[in-house]
Amino acid sequence: MFDKSEMDQVLLATGGYDHTIKLWHTHSGICYRTMQHAESQVNALEITPDKQLIAAASYQHIYMYDLNSNNPNAIVNYDGTTKNVTDVGFQVDGKWMYSGGEDCRVRLWDLRSKGTQCPKIFEVLAPVTCVCLHPNQVELFVGDQSGIIHRWDLKTDHNEQLIPESDAMILDIAIDPLGTHMAAVNNKGRCYIWSLKSGKIDEPTKMNPKHKFEAHKRHALKCEFSPDSRYLVTTSADQTAKIWNTGDFSLRQELKVENQRWVWDAAFSSDSQYVFTASSDGCAKIWNIETGSMEKEYAGHQKAITALAFRDCAV
Amino acid sequence: MALYDNKYWLLSHIRNSFISTDDTGMCELIMAGEEGVRKHLKQSLDLYPDDEDSEDEDDLSHESYDLQLDTDFPIRYRSNTAARLEKLEQVRKKTSRMKHVKWETNNSELSQEQVDDLFVRKEPVVSEVKQSLFSKTFKQYRMMPSNPFIEFAKFDGSGQVNLQTKKYRIFLTMLPEHQRNYPMNICCIGSAKVSELIGLILLKCSTMYEDYHWKPVTTYGLYITEEDGEVDRDLPCLDARENISKFGFHCLGLVEHTDPTKYVSFDTSESVIIMRSPFNTSDKKSKDISKSDQEKQITTDLHLMDVHKRAMEAPLYKSYKVYMITKMRAKTEIHLGISGEKIEIDPVQKNSKFVLVKQKPINHDMDMIAWCETVDVKSNRTIFRIIYSQNFGSSSAPESVSTFSPTLQTSASFKSYDFEAEHETAEEIVYKISLILELRSSDTRKEYLAAQERRYYKKKALI
Repeated sequence: MFDKSEMDQVLLATGGYDHTIKLWHTHSGICYRTMQHAESQVNALEITPDKQLIAAASYQHIYMYDLNSNNPNAIVNYDGTTKNVTDVGFQVDGKWMYSGGEDCRVRLWDLRSKGTQCPKIFEVLAPVTCVCLHPNQVELFVGDQSGIIHRWDLKTDHNEQLIPESDAMILDIAIDPLGTHMAAVNNKGRCYIWSLKSGKIDEPTKMNPKHKFEAHKRHALKCEFSPDSRYLVTTSADQTAKIWNTGDFSLRQELKVENQRWVWDAAFSSDSQYVFTASSDGCAKIWNIETGSMEKEYAGHQKAITALAFRDCAV
Repeated sequence: MALYDNKYWLLSHIRNSFISTDDTGMCELIMAGEEGVRKHLKQSLDLYPDDEDSEDEDDLSHESYDLQLDTDFPIRYRSNTAARLEKLEQVRKKTSRMKHVKWETNNSELSQEQVDDLFVRKEPVVSEVKQSLFSKTFKQYRMMPSNPFIEFAKFDGSGQVNLQTKKYRIFLTMLPEHQRNYPMNICCIGSAKVSELIGLILLKCSTMYEDYHWKPVTTYGLYITEEDGEVDRDLPCLDARENISKFGFHCLGLVEHTDPTKYVSFDTSESVIIMRSPFNTSDKKSKDISKSDQEKQITTDLHLMDVHKRAMEAPLYKSYKVYMITKMRAKTEIHLGISGEKIEIDPVQKNSKFVLVKQKPINHDMDMIAWCETVDVKSNRTIFRIIYSQNFGSSSAPESVSTFSPTLQTSASFKSYDFEAEHETAEEIVYKISLILELRSSDTRKEYLAAQERRYYKKKALI
């Protein structure tokens, strides 16, 4: 399993409206593989922790593609959602996968069992826009279009609700790797920060509102903490992505080029020095956080890129 | 009404045939601009002109109703049903290879064991990463210039689904022989232009053959090519500004132009060497003698023209009256006919009975000729020699050659004829034959040159 070449361990995948998923050589900007995602656009992408498969959330399905073959078609199809699947992610050991959809449901899919039984489902009242797994691996934070954040405890099935702002859709939720902060962005461009206090065994995480700021002028689409928890990146329909210092939530960098249009997704390198963005101009971009300059473009998609997945490793 | 004696109709028919059978679109381009001529012809030739001229108006640009100038693809689309059936079949095939996981609502509650097994609380651990593998390699390669053809990546059609794409087999003529035996498969989106397809090919090439120096897109042309990779050099390359869907070919050859300004220019290994006069370099220095320089320039140009003309005319047949020197040092008057294909030696018929050696007519294929050179310059005559080989090629009269050989000097495989002619004639003949040989670059010539070289080194070694 570890005899793969070094480059295989740095994986960048992008997908969007042109019904393809592309894999890139990150250092040269060359696309080395294109996978077909014929039936729908790509809503979200995530690579499994063992870097063997990539999951694409799409309309009514989640498709899994093999990263280690040249098969352009999906090898697994998770079926049964009635509307768009909006988010997808994995438990850290790859035991199960979670997904959220516009059918107002959050589902857990057992990846280990040979049977197809799905262990859990969680229903809310509005279409689910985002799902975020707490680093403790037992709590899911679910955002929906009515502006509610649900904390769902997987062990006890208890849940609790937060409403940071009425009349605003929660578009993304992020929790930093230490589990001390949670960020949520909404369609008004605002960003809310909570400090999290982990409970003892089986006690729920406590959330205390900490900060609120105007991150963008228009829809904020994605937020993500850096692996070292020092930065938060937010992306937006105002054609920018912004890097914020998590110490005082001051603006660190504005990542902007002419005509990049909506910035949909972002991912940090594991040493928190670079950040990838995916935007509607059909290009993924890599930015240096120190200087705020764009260092490379990954061009090749015919239409907007709406999702991006990146896996890095330490040296 | 159309009859075969209707000149206008016939003309129109021929034009249509040209346009409809020419996939390159050249005929169409040329003929589209001839409306005036056509109208005139119509008036003078058409015996039965249509009365309704107005109806003819929109017909002007394309004479036949089934010919639409430049608007449609030459492919006829399949019916919707057939396309849909095929799509369904493809989906069925694809899904049969896929594992399907259907969501099933779980009625029974998970047991505590299962819950404990699946949901294990973990303490968030943060491993301090000083440098990631990505950052390391990215920084390493940051100084490397980015691929100049990267902008063409978006024309890649591979993996595209709901988009018209075209697949091509591209032969790369500039690569070394062992690498170019197999064509490169390229899938390009249908809306790309020819220049963009070239860019995409170069992008692929630059990643596959990194050691070859790839030049800008404008340096290359795409030519219609046979399945076996033989480039059709009689036709011009596909117009770089045109949309690729206009051309129906799937096998194309990428050719590097030696002169990018020229539309068709192949790199031929046999090039005519033109001696540049030294005037070109010196005329920058002095302005006061510019007039004489100009004159010199003109003479140089004229000289160059002449050289060029002679090079062009070299393969054309020409006959010379020369004397052949036989073994016995006797001279026989002959006609020496030289063309790009062969050399003919024809004795001039004489009634004299006192001919010492009767020369028979000889034919030599040009592939058998190895060399031609001036041997001796006398006061009024020049002696030149044609060296040939019997081992190579096929002679039209091999017996006559073998039975009668007026050679003075024979080697294992090369024999020669000596001729005598006036200075100018001899010079012209030597030049003509040398040019032809250089152009043909036959095996005989190579062999001869190699033998000469060997002999030279042998001599050198002996000294």
